Amino acid sequence: MADDPEDLPHFNLFSEEFSRCPQAVYREMRAACPVTRAAITESLVLSRYEDVAWALRHPEIFSSAMDLQVALGTERPMIPQQIDPPAQTRYRKLLDPHFSRRKMEALIPSIRANANALIDTFIDAGECEFDEAFAIPLPCTAFLDLLGLPQEDLALFLELKDGIIRPQKAQPDLDFEGAQRVRVESGRRIYRYFERIIEERLREKTPREDLLSSILSAEIDGEKLISTEILDICFLLLLAGLDTVTATLGCNIAYLAANPDQRRRILEHPELLPGAVEELMRWETPVTAVPRLVKREVEVGGTVIAEGELVTLLIGAANTDESHFPEADRVDFERERNIHMAFGAGPHRCLGSHLARMELCAAMEEWHRRIPEYHIKSGETPRYSPGIREVLYLPLVWER
Amino acid sequence: MIALARVRVDAEKCVGHGRCYVLAPEVFEEDERGHCIVIEEDVSEALADEARKGERNCPEGAIRLER
Ligand code: HEM
Ligand code: SF4
Repeated sequence: MADDPEDLPHFNLFSEEFSRCPQAVYREMRAACPVTRAAITESLVLSRYEDVAWALRHPEIFSSAMDLQVALGTERPMIPQQIDPPAQTRYRKLLDPHFSRRKMEALIPSIRANANALIDTFIDAGECEFDEAFAIPLPCTAFLDLLGLPQEDLALFLELKDGIIRPQKAQPDLDFEGAQRVRVESGRRIYRYFERIIEERLREKTPREDLLSSILSAEIDGEKLISTEILDICFLLLLAGLDTVTATLGCNIAYLAANPDQRRRILEHPELLPGAVEELMRWETPVTAVPRLVKREVEVGGTVIAEGELVTLLIGAANTDESHFPEADRVDFERERNIHMAFGAGPHRCLGSHLARMELCAAMEEWHRRIPEYHIKSGETPRYSPGIREVLYLPLVWER
Repeated sequence: MIALARVRVDAEKCVGHGRCYVLAPEVFEEDERGHCIVIEEDVSEALADEARKGERNCPEGAIRLER
């Protein structure tokens, strides 16, 4: 790593306090210096809207090809997240049509049905732990439907995904090496699972209508994808498509439980819901940051960043930057201009953003229809995970 | 009808956030990839307000309204 020209201030982005209430820290970071350092990882951090947006749109400098730096149990880069344009663009051309708003609409009825089936299981109890009871299982059905996988595989799926993202969940006292071992092993099992599914599909005579079958037969520039490419896409979808929605649902409902006036506004004016989802995405930014690897020396706000530095693009801080969001600390469901980057920006814009937005609206609509009045159980405090801000513990109560 | 503004989308900048065609479906629509297509290039007063919503909410700054 190159010498730091200045003694940059350090901020801890991995504490639970930060995850619970990051907005105050964001403000300090933006004010301190355009470039800061993250404690623990020592990566550089960009936190102003202008800088984060610019970096996201310049993949030739801020590269995503960092599968070796971010060890997540993968054997090859995940497609398309860990590769740069122009190769990345080829994959997006193939994948985008399968994730368009129009296509995703077909999944909404089953999301609503699933939301109601889940609510049925706990509504009479007058309380639930929201993460376990609703936020975790809700996105899974749609996800399995989308790929065309059997619903019976749900439990296996959740176990494998947690093995990569949160190895400590099943075994709380794992040390770093232990966690890494669980990641690698879970990674192997994920590859094997999808290898088996792909082989089965290739043997079938009549192709199915789902995403997996479509990508098996799709061609880019006259060439079909090879099976490792398909595996590397599936691996990413599993990591990117479930926890993110879970975390966002948790952050949104935790906010509304703690802010009854805002919740009542949605109840009285249901047409505000899509705007509320956008504004909560901005304010909460559950995926707080994305990593990049600097390919050539670049100056950001007067600080020279050397080739080879790891940089954290702090989307959450960008999304609360006064220079782009007047009264940035006010949560305003009718914000006239909301150009948040909670789904990223530039070429890697979240492939699942249309699905995620529709899922969030449908789930929140059904929830509020069935359980309009709820609050956090008295004496309890929600617990947020570091990294992606999943609300791991969100005890809610309501009148039966 | 008198055209009030001309709506332009820079296809190089558009990455398919879809804010424009959700907020102003009478002016914008999605192509196969979910990128933006302008339905009405020349917009009158009522649609110009719609178009402006799309322009103001595009995170990529891909939409321009020319007078
Ligand atoms: C509210 C939920 C979600 C949030 C907040 C979110 C956030 C993000 C962000 C910030 C990125 C950019 C990563 C980068 O630039 O390095 C991204 C990329 C991605 N997301 Fe999502 N995501 C969500 C839901 C989903 C869903 C439901 C899926 C799939 C079913 C998905 C699939 C992907 C994929 C494949 C990429 C990589 C795109 C590329 O690199 O070209 N996401 N997401
Ligand atoms: S909002 Fe902007 S980036 Fe998104 S589809 Fe419309 S023009 Fe393209």
